[in-house]
Amino acid sequence: MATSRRTFVKGTAAAAAAVSAPGLLKAQSAPTKARTVRAVLHGDLKIFDPIWTTANMTGNHGLLVYDTLFGLDDARNVQPQMVDKWGISDDKKTYTFILRDGLKFHDGQAVTSADAVASVRRWAARDGAAQHMFKRVADTPVKDDKTFQIVLKEPYGLVLEALGKIETNLPVIMRKKDAETDPNQQVTTKVGSGPFMFNEEETKSGQRYVYDKFSGYAPRKEPASGMVGGKIAKVDRVIIENMADEQTAVAALKAGEIDFYEIPPIDLLDQLESDKNIKLDILNKGGNVGMCRLNWLHPPFDKVEARQAMLHLIKQEDILKAVFGNPKYYRSCASLFACTGQMQSDVNTEWFKGGQNIAKARELFKNAGYDGRPVVILQATNIAFMNNASLLVAQWLKEAGVNAELAASDWGAVVARRAVKKPVAEGGWNIFITWGSGEGFDNPIGFVAHTANGEAGWFGWPKDDLHEKLRDDWALATTLEERKAVARKLQENAWSYVPMALLGQWAPPVARRTNVSGFIPIPAHVPFWNVEKT
Amino acid sequence: MLAFIVHRLLSTAVVMAIVAVFIFLLLHLSPGDPAAIIVGDNATQLQIDAVRKQLGLDDPLAVQFVRWLAGVFKGDLGVSIFSHQPVGKLIGQRIEPTVSLALTTLLLAVIIAVSFGVLAAWKVGTWIDRFVMVLSVLSFSVPVFVVGYLLIYVFSIKLGWLPVQGYSPIAEGFGTWIRHLILPSIALGLAYVALIARITRTAMLDVLSEDYIRTARAKGVAMGPVLMKHALKNAGVPIVTVIGIGIALLIGGVVITETVFNIPGVGRLVVDAISQRDYPIIQGVTLIFSGVYVIVNLMVDISYTLLDPRIRY
Repeated sequence: MATSRRTFVKGTAAAAAAVSAPGLLKAQSAPTKARTVRAVLHGDLKIFDPIWTTANMTGNHGLLVYDTLFGLDDARNVQPQMVDKWGISDDKKTYTFILRDGLKFHDGQAVTSADAVASVRRWAARDGAAQHMFKRVADTPVKDDKTFQIVLKEPYGLVLEALGKIETNLPVIMRKKDAETDPNQQVTTKVGSGPFMFNEEETKSGQRYVYDKFSGYAPRKEPASGMVGGKIAKVDRVIIENMADEQTAVAALKAGEIDFYEIPPIDLLDQLESDKNIKLDILNKGGNVGMCRLNWLHPPFDKVEARQAMLHLIKQEDILKAVFGNPKYYRSCASLFACTGQMQSDVNTEWFKGGQNIAKARELFKNAGYDGRPVVILQATNIAFMNNASLLVAQWLKEAGVNAELAASDWGAVVARRAVKKPVAEGGWNIFITWGSGEGFDNPIGFVAHTANGEAGWFGWPKDDLHEKLRDDWALATTLEERKAVARKLQENAWSYVPMALLGQWAPPVARRTNVSGFIPIPAHVPFWNVEKT
Repeated sequence: MLAFIVHRLLSTAVVMAIVAVFIFLLLHLSPGDPAAIIVGDNATQLQIDAVRKQLGLDDPLAVQFVRWLAGVFKGDLGVSIFSHQPVGKLIGQRIEPTVSLALTTLLLAVIIAVSFGVLAAWKVGTWIDRFVMVLSVLSFSVPVFVVGYLLIYVFSIKLGWLPVQGYSPIAEGFGTWIRHLILPSIALGLAYVALIARITRTAMLDVLSEDYIRTARAKGVAMGPVLMKHALKNAGVPIVTVIGIGIALLIGGVVITETVFNIPGVGRLVVDAISQRDYPIIQGVTLIFSGVYVIVNLMVDISYTLLDPRIRY
């Protein structure tokens, strides 16, 4: 069969159209670049259940996809979010909550009180603060589709604060059928009632995670403030890019390939500041607080004198300067509850005001009966703060006559070894360096590093009965002033028995293109509602 | 020939088995705990222990090994500890960027390196020869990531000609696909160019001093055909050998290049998996990489018979 020129041209055109059709359709359905925000956050997103894990990357996912019953506003006051009205009985043991109108999940189903109760119960099985509260919970009855209660056995001062916490594990509201998953198993669905929907089709695991504006979201009328208020999605799409290399992320930001970078490397901040298209902001004012965890199970830190020696040994300023350089991003801090929160005080901090005192530390180690045995510091060499702080602490220990040894590895190996309770000679350890968020430090109940319940507690396993009693008192206190008073007692006691040593507080900036604005400053997470792109 | 191929394939299975045992032991005996990473930094020991139990990480090492090996024999590389997706599927999702990068690099490197090597041999002792050799030393000495950052700075940030990072599948258009591969291919290919160019030059110099080359020139054959038809084919065996050996260099380089240019390939997959101790992914990728390396070497051996009819298996 002969093919004419006209038939050939028609055929070619049809074939070209067929080949390019998927791309054209995709181009038509995808939001434009101007309506899409591309962000690089601090890591990769591996787990999608914000109730199940304490990973902050999962918390970021949780804030996009889910919503919470309560939240903290800019002034750190608890405000209702999914809840419309709430009340408390005269005996202060029954809390009644009524959900807002118009709440619905991304699959179109209405959010009911059964969903809320199932989610809160799931969260109570995973979260430390929730478990503390649920020891006192008698029941969580569902009254109707929009009303449910939390009935306590005794009054508890932190019910709303716990439900509105920003620290992971997040108390997000899932569908009942998801929330009823065994709490030891992760929920793998991503259906919430938040301002953005997870776009499974466009997401490429390990590469990018795509969230589209949920048109069915019913925002509150109040302006956005902290974790509450009108969570209005002002862009159509948010793409979280997984970019492992810091230099590449900075280059991508400068070239306009991404709009936001959560943790730009400190040594490149000057370079970014000099770029007129990029702005640096401190969103997380509480930042992080470094801590030196001491192993209470073995000498020398099983003796209080050795732990007190660490307070005199460490010079926070040197560590912070070595890692963060510019003083506008860090501060030294002696408060057990960080220096930016409501619980901070300078009670019992004479050791700090006196500055570094190696001679005093040497004397205290001697009083502790230190016998020259190796003191092993787990040094995570792949994380700048942990690496540098370990080096400096080791040096100071040597100056104080302690036989300090660095056990270098990556962080992945540190998290395995820090769980070993055996003596150093059998694979144990004496010191490891880590950090917690400033927001977390401000909460004696919610922050796991504030536990002092021995081997049942967190790594280092400090034990002090008075501390544990005071933590309970703090949770039962009904006013902020009462809580502050208990916090002062906690700190006074803590800097006598020394659960850990602190390494200072820092709040590094985020970097964004100047045409992207509206990021709400909240601790530890990056919310994308209210964000605009021009 | 057929017997040779069958024999080599059988020995490949033995090599892969040794690799499997070695990788498994290396990973599981090195420090690290994926359970502690999964549950997050503020998790309690009880939560970590529960996840370890769930993942079967508290089983004896031998039990874990037999479980994994039984899966491998059935073609099942296991399931990612973190994403719960089959490792085979994850590798499948990441294979296109890696193969694209490897092929464009290979193509670019072989064309440039062989041309440079032939040119240097032809103009031996001249400034061209010295220039090619200096370039080779430089290319081989500078690490891939340094070259990568330099290329990004010049061509993406300063000139704005090419994208800094990322990958665009070929299905979304050849133009964007190749634009995303130019800088990574150059960064990855430079060391490879240096290696092949030097070997090509040496092999060509040996061949160009042979009597039959002098005879061909005496008979009036032009230099072009002498170089390309007579000399290059006879110098082919060492060149093909070094290209094959260089595949290992390429595989190692792919891991770094994919990180620097944020290409979501198998290299990035394994780097992320190592930092999180996602054992099934590391084991699966390493097994596949070693299989590729063994098969490439087999193909190199077979190609000798095409280049030199005197070689028989």
